[in-house]
Amino acid sequence: MSREVLLTGFGVRTAFGSGADALREGVFDGRPAFAPITRFDTGPYRTGLAATAGEAVPLHESLAKTATAAIGMAGLPARADAAVLVGTAGDFASLTRFWRAEAENRGTPGGTGQTVPAWQAEALAGELGARGPRLAFTNACVASATAIVHACRLIASGRVDIAICAGAYLVEEENLAKFGSGFALSRDGMVRPFCAGRSGLLLGDGAAAVVLESADSARRRGARALAALTGWGAACDAYHVAKPHPDGAGLASAARQALRRAGDPRIDYVNAHGTATKANDPAETRGLRALFGDRAEAVPVSSTKSTTGHLLEAAGVVELVITLLALRDGVLPPTAGFTEPDPACDLDYVPNRPLRAEIRRAMSVNAAFGGANTALVLERA
Amino acid sequence: MIAAIVDDGAPPVSGFVESAFSPLAYQAVSQCLTGLQCPTGQPSPTGRPADGARTALVLASTMGDADTLDLGSRRLVAGQVNNPLLFMQSTANAILGRICLDFAITGPTLAISVLGDLAGELLATAELLRADEDPDRIVLVGVELAGSERAAAAHRELGTCPPAASAAVAIALDRGEEIPPVPPAGPATYGSLRGLAEVAARIRGATP
Repeated sequence: MSREVLLTGFGVRTAFGSGADALREGVFDGRPAFAPITRFDTGPYRTGLAATAGEAVPLHESLAKTATAAIGMAGLPARADAAVLVGTAGDFASLTRFWRAEAENRGTPGGTGQTVPAWQAEALAGELGARGPRLAFTNACVASATAIVHACRLIASGRVDIAICAGAYLVEEENLAKFGSGFALSRDGMVRPFCAGRSGLLLGDGAAAVVLESADSARRRGARALAALTGWGAACDAYHVAKPHPDGAGLASAARQALRRAGDPRIDYVNAHGTATKANDPAETRGLRALFGDRAEAVPVSSTKSTTGHLLEAAGVVELVITLLALRDGVLPPTAGFTEPDPACDLDYVPNRPLRAEIRRAMSVNAAFGGANTALVLERA
Repeated sequence: MIAAIVDDGAPPVSGFVESAFSPLAYQAVSQCLTGLQCPTGQPSPTGRPADGARTALVLASTMGDADTLDLGSRRLVAGQVNNPLLFMQSTANAILGRICLDFAITGPTLAISVLGDLAGELLATAELLRADEDPDRIVLVGVELAGSERAAAAHRELGTCPPAASAAVAIALDRGEEIPPVPPAGPATYGSLRGLAEVAARIRGATP
């Protein structure tokens, strides 16, 4: 048995603010949200820029707000029998707070449990009153996409009717330091995916949640489907601990799985992982070329990290929401900050300006450390 | 079906430093895939599957690599430069990627964090993968570190127990093999891994 998976609600928050209109005004306008970070002293770090949404709130509050919005849009009843699957690495701000307190002999601060990823899923399920299974996915930049793949499996196999999939990352010192030490951060204050002059990523605040459910469940409840999730796939490069396979082999494999499951349809748009790092973008380009073959140059591909920044564990679910809006609005978000093309990146990247296009099916792909890759196919309802 | 329990240290894995998390995960999976020290398994010289795309790898841990996280955070608080190797190994993806590279696994990889029934979630995930993709082999690995002060504080808040010593437990399930039921949890010395350790011990015909 394989049941149809529908998307019936979403909530989203990025540096542009909350909700779909904030994304339309920022991401779809091609307006980068990068600005000086004010929530902590950035003096010790390689960059002081990120796409932040004002003062930081606890991670679980961001998850709860976006999931509550998603549930409201889907019209889910309170205390639903829903799985809660969250892409998160835990609350890093609580981690720093713990060790600062230790260093200053101030005793153990409360909230240390929030550093544990599983706590975030439990807390969200508790906040929502959801009574199904709850899990945290910790696979870095494919974490929330993996949560969505897992939800699709749970629903398609008949194990659950409804899943609330969420992910959140809020800019903090730990990852700013780590990405700096890995020389992964942009040197010119812009994120320029697929460009010759790209120099790396910048981090961004992001949280989103989607309600996925079986077609039977949506029909029973009278819920309106916003889109169908018709394909999903996941694959590993088996190439390097930190670098992607230069031919995008794992990404192409994940995407092929997703397409096969969706019935090998024509894809009209790809929301790329597009980190603007030297290694990712040509690898992803080659993977997409291998996937689409002769059609590759006719498929618009954009990286919205050029506006939102890299949302780490939240990237998959926020970018799925962006892809959903592209489908519903008939507008493709651009790759912002696009300057000189890189000969190794030779697809149509929707440079700088949004593109009006009536599209029926789109794909969102993500990749992560360790060569983990995911692909999701979304079809207009 | 092959199982391995590694609770007395593991050889280093090149590129991974300071924390036992990744070496333990690697060693437990390696023992399963090569059949070494696994009396019920069929030894395989390389441990490589016939079709790597049809092998799935799932890692579960409540706390994850707390030692790497905590070391990075302590250095940050002390104003010291972060070691790029810590950045590289800071997510479980890194060691999963290394395992996939060495054993030519190109199927799905998952890393999950679970409060409570870690064995139940891993085995349920194996069943789900079977229902969805029917892979030839599913490798499950649970890893938990004895932990730092921060992990101890988190355990106190969450009402969970750390293991007495850092440990990893891996189980390799081949297509057609029945997924074992979750038995009553084994010794508390394994912390969140106690259910998984009990499953592994039964597969190995021993007590954990």
